[in-house]
Amino acid sequence: MKETKTNPKIAIVSLTSCEGCQFVLLDLGEKFLSLMDQVEMVDFRLLEDEEDKGDPLDIGIVEGNPVTEDNVKTLKSLRDRSKVLIVLGNCAAMGGIPEVKNYQEGKGTIKHVYKYLQGITNPEIKEVDNFVEVDFTFPGCPITGEEFLYYFERIIETVKKGNLSGLPEIPDQPVCIQCRKLGNRCLLLDKKPCFGPMILGGCNAVCPTSRMVCQGCRGLRPKGNVEAMKQMFRKQEMMTDQEFEDTTEIYGLRDNISELESK
Amino acid sequence: MNIRINHINKMEGHAGFMASVIKGDVKSAKLEVHEGIRLIEGILIGRYYKDMPIIAQRICGICPVVHNLTSIKAVENAMGVKVTNETVNLRKLLEWGQIIHSHALHLFFLSLADFLDIENDLNLVKKYPEETKKAIKVREYGMAIVKIVGGRVVHPLTNETGGFKKVPKLEDIQKLISQSEEVLPVALELGEFFKKIKLPDFSRESEYVCLNKEGEYAIYDGDVISNKGLHIPVKKFEQNFQELQRPQEIIKRVKSDSESSYMIGAIARINNQSRKLDTVAEKYFESLGYKLPDYNPFHNILYQMVEVVQAVEESLKLLKILANSHLENALTRNYEIKGGEGVAAVEAPRGTLYYYVDIDDKGYIKNLNIITPTAQFLSHLEDDIAAYLPRIFDLSDKEKEKKLRAFIRAYDPCISCAVH
Repeated sequence: MKETKTNPKIAIVSLTSCEGCQFVLLDLGEKFLSLMDQVEMVDFRLLEDEEDKGDPLDIGIVEGNPVTEDNVKTLKSLRDRSKVLIVLGNCAAMGGIPEVKNYQEGKGTIKHVYKYLQGITNPEIKEVDNFVEVDFTFPGCPITGEEFLYYFERIIETVKKGNLSGLPEIPDQPVCIQCRKLGNRCLLLDKKPCFGPMILGGCNAVCPTSRMVCQGCRGLRPKGNVEAMKQMFRKQEMMTDQEFEDTTEIYGLRDNISELESK
Repeated sequence: MNIRINHINKMEGHAGFMASVIKGDVKSAKLEVHEGIRLIEGILIGRYYKDMPIIAQRICGICPVVHNLTSIKAVENAMGVKVTNETVNLRKLLEWGQIIHSHALHLFFLSLADFLDIENDLNLVKKYPEETKKAIKVREYGMAIVKIVGGRVVHPLTNETGGFKKVPKLEDIQKLISQSEEVLPVALELGEFFKKIKLPDFSRESEYVCLNKEGEYAIYDGDVISNKGLHIPVKKFEQNFQELQRPQEIIKRVKSDSESSYMIGAIARINNQSRKLDTVAEKYFESLGYKLPDYNPFHNILYQMVEVVQAVEESLKLLKILANSHLENALTRNYEIKGGEGVAAVEAPRGTLYYYVDIDDKGYIKNLNIITPTAQFLSHLEDDIAAYLPRIFDLSDKEKEKKLRAFIRAYDPCISCAVH
């Protein structure tokens, strides 16, 4: 890649999802609009009707789960045409809420919802990186707007310089760092089973600030100690092992933890 | 002749459109859903009741507040949990905030460009910078309410069974009061701008359904009524409105006892409840000069504008009440976990959202059902389009497509909700 002066071409694409991560972007209001001045938006179907001609992109941004065959095609073609592929949010990064069905017995979840199953695609939920290579992930359910602005600026710079090895990384810090800075009383002191210590920070501790326990939507941090966490919950009777496992299902942590345990 | 639109942009979720016309007769007009299934109801079965609002609100990134409120109300009704007036007022405030930011998004960023012949909102904001600022200002007020009361705009955090985990500070409520007073004239200016937009003339008489409560423009509770004389308590909702799944379809449509498709959302609420609008909203509504009953679906856009004004007024009233009450009374109270069935309905921006839940003695969900607004009005939308199509037969394919997109978007469908 060569250094360029023109604005990078980008597209924001969604697969099966609640689209909440895209709304976090729109909710940035004027900040989002001024960010749009720094890029050339090739495709963002929430805001425009124009035909996407399928031109090459500098940055492809994708949200949601690849559930239907069309979703998978859309994802693969976005990867093919993008120099950098960015993932938005917990569904794309970790499977999200739809992944809960993977853990349910007998794969019978669909039968609670539909009488006629014929013609309905119901695959096991797999994260985006099972289909394509991912260059950067904005974690969370939903993503954090301010964090997006911060790293996206750096990603644009990197793309302009033409050296992709300079892509930023989110530092390995627990949710607790920002939580303490905000002066919040630690939920663990009140015997509330908060996952903060083992989860990747950067969300401005938005949940604990609202007295909601962290349930891990941003994923395990590389140095997160799952076993210590579980033990503490058990010993201090905050949560049984079963409740811990159930909670890790909500944002698709459970399979990451099993993977760790099997290593 | 077939009319096909592969993908309708600028609405929540993924869908296309297909119509078949033979010798001038519209044989079928159908929204084609391209969303994958997420099975939210199935996922919740067997899980603890506390997971319900957390998971269910993730059905929708634009209206998570109303899924949060409705699921919590259904759980409270199932377990017989009583909440304080302060809790109810904070929840109503949340819902008005939700209505403001969802409507403002749809009005300005999703639908408006259709009537100005602009295809990209980034061009819209360049051409109308002042109006854009106003739309953002109004929308940010709705978002500020949800953020301050709910803790976050997309997927709020504080509301739970029995009350709130955390309540706003008095100074935050006061800040919202001054923001509200500033926003009301801005909303009206935006309203004047919207009045100048020329909307197509089309109407088809049908049934309009919404909640109703004596003495207030009902959004948070009440009975279910219609302009055709329906009046039932929410617990009889599923007796009157039945979900049915057609083979190959992943949206379960909803059939009314009256056998015909029905409409919900802003246009239905205004038709049924306009006499209960607040002063400023009522004045703005009257200035539109629309005669009720009004069956023109394009007017849904302006009725959303009326509701934005109504929401600013109502939220200000609630904020003033809250500023003079003991906010800590809204903090979650102890309650007993017990089994039972519960239902709840709340007016979402797009219409009545209904939840049913059956919980066991230990608090685990045995069964539940969620009926969303878009699933309810889908057949009405298709019936409307079938009636509208003959008027645009003579237009070029491109023009036809434009008109159809505008029509579908005026309904403000949310495909993510409809499939869930």
